Amino acid sequence: MILSIFIGISIALFGFVLQTSIGGINRKIIGRLQKRHGPRWYQEFIDIFKLLSKRSVSHGWIFDFGVIMALGGIIATAMFMPLTSTFLAFENYDNFFIFVYLLAVGMLGMAMSASGSGNPWASIGVMRALTTMLAYEVPFLIVVLTIVNLSGNSSLTEIMLYQQAAGNNIFLIALPLGGIVGFIALMGMLGKKPFETYIAPAEIASGPMVEYGGKQLGMLFILHEITIFIEVSLFVHLFLGGATNIFEFLFKYFIVYTVANLISNVNGRFKIDQVVKFFYKWPLLMAVTQAIIAIYFGWVI
Amino acid sequence: MASIEFLILFLVGAGIIAYLLTKLNTIVGSIFTIFTVMFVFVSLAQYGFGMDIITTVKILPGISFSQSYLGFYFAILIVFIYLMVSFFHPYFIDKYKYKDSYNLLFLLSLAGILGAFYTNNFLNLFFFFEIIIWTTMFLIPQGKSKEAAVSYFGFSLAGSVSLLLGVFVIFNSTGTFNINDSLALLSGNSAVLVFALFLIAAFAKLGAFPLHIWLPITHGNAPDPFSPVLSGALVKLGGFIAVLALIKITPATVMFRAMDIPIGHYLVAILGGLTIVFGTLMAIKEDDAKKLLAYSSMSHGGYILVAFSILNSMAFAGGFYHILAHALASAGAFMAIAAVSRVTGTTKIKELGGMIHKMPITYLAYLIAIISMAGIPPMGGFISKWLIFQAVIDKGMVFVGVAVFFGSVGSFLYVFRPLAALFLGQEFTEYKHVKEAPILMLIPTFVLMGLNIYTGVFPAAFLKVINNIIVELGYTGITYTTYVISGNNGVLNPALISLVFVVGILIAFIIFILLKKSRKVELMDTYTAGNFIHDEHLFHYSTDFYAPLERLYEKQSHWMTTFYRALAEKVKELGKLGKYLFMSKSLSVTLLWIISIIIFLLWGEVL
Repeated sequence: MILSIFIGISIALFGFVLQTSIGGINRKIIGRLQKRHGPRWYQEFIDIFKLLSKRSVSHGWIFDFGVIMALGGIIATAMFMPLTSTFLAFENYDNFFIFVYLLAVGMLGMAMSASGSGNPWASIGVMRALTTMLAYEVPFLIVVLTIVNLSGNSSLTEIMLYQQAAGNNIFLIALPLGGIVGFIALMGMLGKKPFETYIAPAEIASGPMVEYGGKQLGMLFILHEITIFIEVSLFVHLFLGGATNIFEFLFKYFIVYTVANLISNVNGRFKIDQVVKFFYKWPLLMAVTQAIIAIYFGWVI
Repeated sequence: MASIEFLILFLVGAGIIAYLLTKLNTIVGSIFTIFTVMFVFVSLAQYGFGMDIITTVKILPGISFSQSYLGFYFAILIVFIYLMVSFFHPYFIDKYKYKDSYNLLFLLSLAGILGAFYTNNFLNLFFFFEIIIWTTMFLIPQGKSKEAAVSYFGFSLAGSVSLLLGVFVIFNSTGTFNINDSLALLSGNSAVLVFALFLIAAFAKLGAFPLHIWLPITHGNAPDPFSPVLSGALVKLGGFIAVLALIKITPATVMFRAMDIPIGHYLVAILGGLTIVFGTLMAIKEDDAKKLLAYSSMSHGGYILVAFSILNSMAFAGGFYHILAHALASAGAFMAIAAVSRVTGTTKIKELGGMIHKMPITYLAYLIAIISMAGIPPMGGFISKWLIFQAVIDKGMVFVGVAVFFGSVGSFLYVFRPLAALFLGQEFTEYKHVKEAPILMLIPTFVLMGLNIYTGVFPAAFLKVINNIIVELGYTGITYTTYVISGNNGVLNPALISLVFVVGILIAFIIFILLKKSRKVELMDTYTAGNFIHDEHLFHYSTDFYAPLERLYEKQSHWMTTFYRALAEKVKELGKLGKYLFMSKSLSVTLLWIISIIIFLLWGEVL
């Protein structure tokens, strides 16, 4: 048990380092896309450690407690994440719903802390974040319902093994409509354009984060990186067949994140009600269609 | 040994004593009430789990009892909620107009509840239901509005009448009023009829779509300490009837081959899904904290319906666990709001702000309750939602799945509103003087907090009781060990999740504590985009919290209210016609009656 917990903690740490590096590389890629040099690849590490070393202000105990709860919840979620189909901290217990709902603890903590700052802009950011969540989560969960129903298991490693088994395609190919929905939902989860409404830097002073500085902001940056790690890994495991070894995982992870980032950078931003309308129109329709043809008719490629 | 007849008579007697004591002194009467409910709870808990309660009847005429795990489960849960709420009485009763009778009615309704869950006769069941309705009907108008009681009574009565009709149909086709025997004997068309009638009753009591309109009116306007009872306990009566209808009656209908569910049950699941979606959307819009929680009860009622209409033990376990988890969570949340309302006199979200600084424990109670309500680990709501999701996914119910997932994510939105705007945000000057709730009110708060967490960490003890019910209903119980629950497609280890969560929090805490200490600043000392803001009311974002989202369904949200208003108009018109025909003093109407009676008489002669 102790060993498992340490493995879990190292997975969370690995996720943080991985995503922060890949995030840095992506900033470079985006820079090149926009004919700039872009920052150094380790710029994100510098930012985070600079923030952690600074002295900051606090708006009361809930402001701090929320940050701790958020980061704690996210670390806990990351500890359950399998990296490959054989390497994970707690065997059998990597149930999909744990990720969705433990992730929510982190979100709740952050939202609580942001509202606790007493700044209405932070509350507006939280409102937008939650609304976006309501938008992308339902189509995504319907696709996952299809996947779990087909593979007969909601454990991530089992879903991976199901896709890796001979004769089965990865779900991105087996469920093409669902795969598209999954990717769009991933864009929403990551807060990438056109769904980055809740950060909206030019509009609402960086959304929920408006009041933060110093160590609180640094911790929220760490939280952000680990959250992205969890979300992208979920996509890799659910739709791309997971990985049999760590290099495969790194490769798939890099591809998914970079593609999401590239799409993000050629898009504008939706208004918040447009986000909701969008997700409840095409992605939901596609997800339901996919579920019906896959579950009731058994048409799986 | 406790006899159920004794407990009921004891409650009635104690109710009368409580009435007299309350007349002398409200505090003494309320404390007597607490001890009475505690006695009943302890007796039930001592003997009920082993089915050791004596059910013979010596005094009460025409009433018979029997015990079942099903009835006991509901009874102990509801008595527990009553016990928790009774701790609030000493601080609230003085505010009400008819304070003498408050404790009496409270205890009488509890007697009705015990009877309803322990009887084995349909007529008795109806009788006890009426006791519950009639006693609570006089409790509700002592709150904010008298119309709330009318609405509650109307819908409850519709439910009861439907139940009674169902009972008559049962007696007509089976010849017995015994609950278990008659339901097993039902077959053919009468089974379908009873199924429908009982479900109408269940929907009315549970406040499910489309019979939900009374729920927010009643919960929102009932006395503050009675709202938790309504939402956590009395609504669950609908769950009980739903169990009777959905599980014990099996009307021979067409099966959905893809999902392996009878069509009637599937329709109920769809209606349950609509209940979830409707409740969620309305809760997101609502500005009154109590009404918001009422809509959330409605949406959770939908989960219960969905769970019981999927006919397998996984779903049943989810449904029963959800009844437990939601009762605890909603009682906790309503009681937190009641504590706030006691010191501020309002439950409107936009009139409140920053209560956390004065009432941190109440805030924590609310936080833990809503985490459970939103189905986030490590609280009880997560276990039940996980079980229900397992069943829904396993059956491949796509449309119900949309509703279930929508409600689950939507619940983050609405439970967060009171948290953000009522407890957090700017601290209002007018509430700077308020104090944390007194110690007697904090006792149930702590107990509920503890139980909300306990149900989410160690569900095995509760699953054991639930498995008994499932076996009693004729299904095989679900598989679980001390720590692990096995579902159809996966296993869950709630204790491990909680442990890992604690580890995560510890790591975050260590990171936090190791870094430089922050400087404490005032709430008003924030980024204002260059504006000078002097009034915290202007700097508190609480009105129309989800405005962009609400705009999307603004027009549709009035459909049901409009429908019921139109229905009420029609009923009124019908009443006017009746009044005109039967009560009128006008000559022409009298003449009309005389002539028609003569015609009828002549017609009889001729034939």
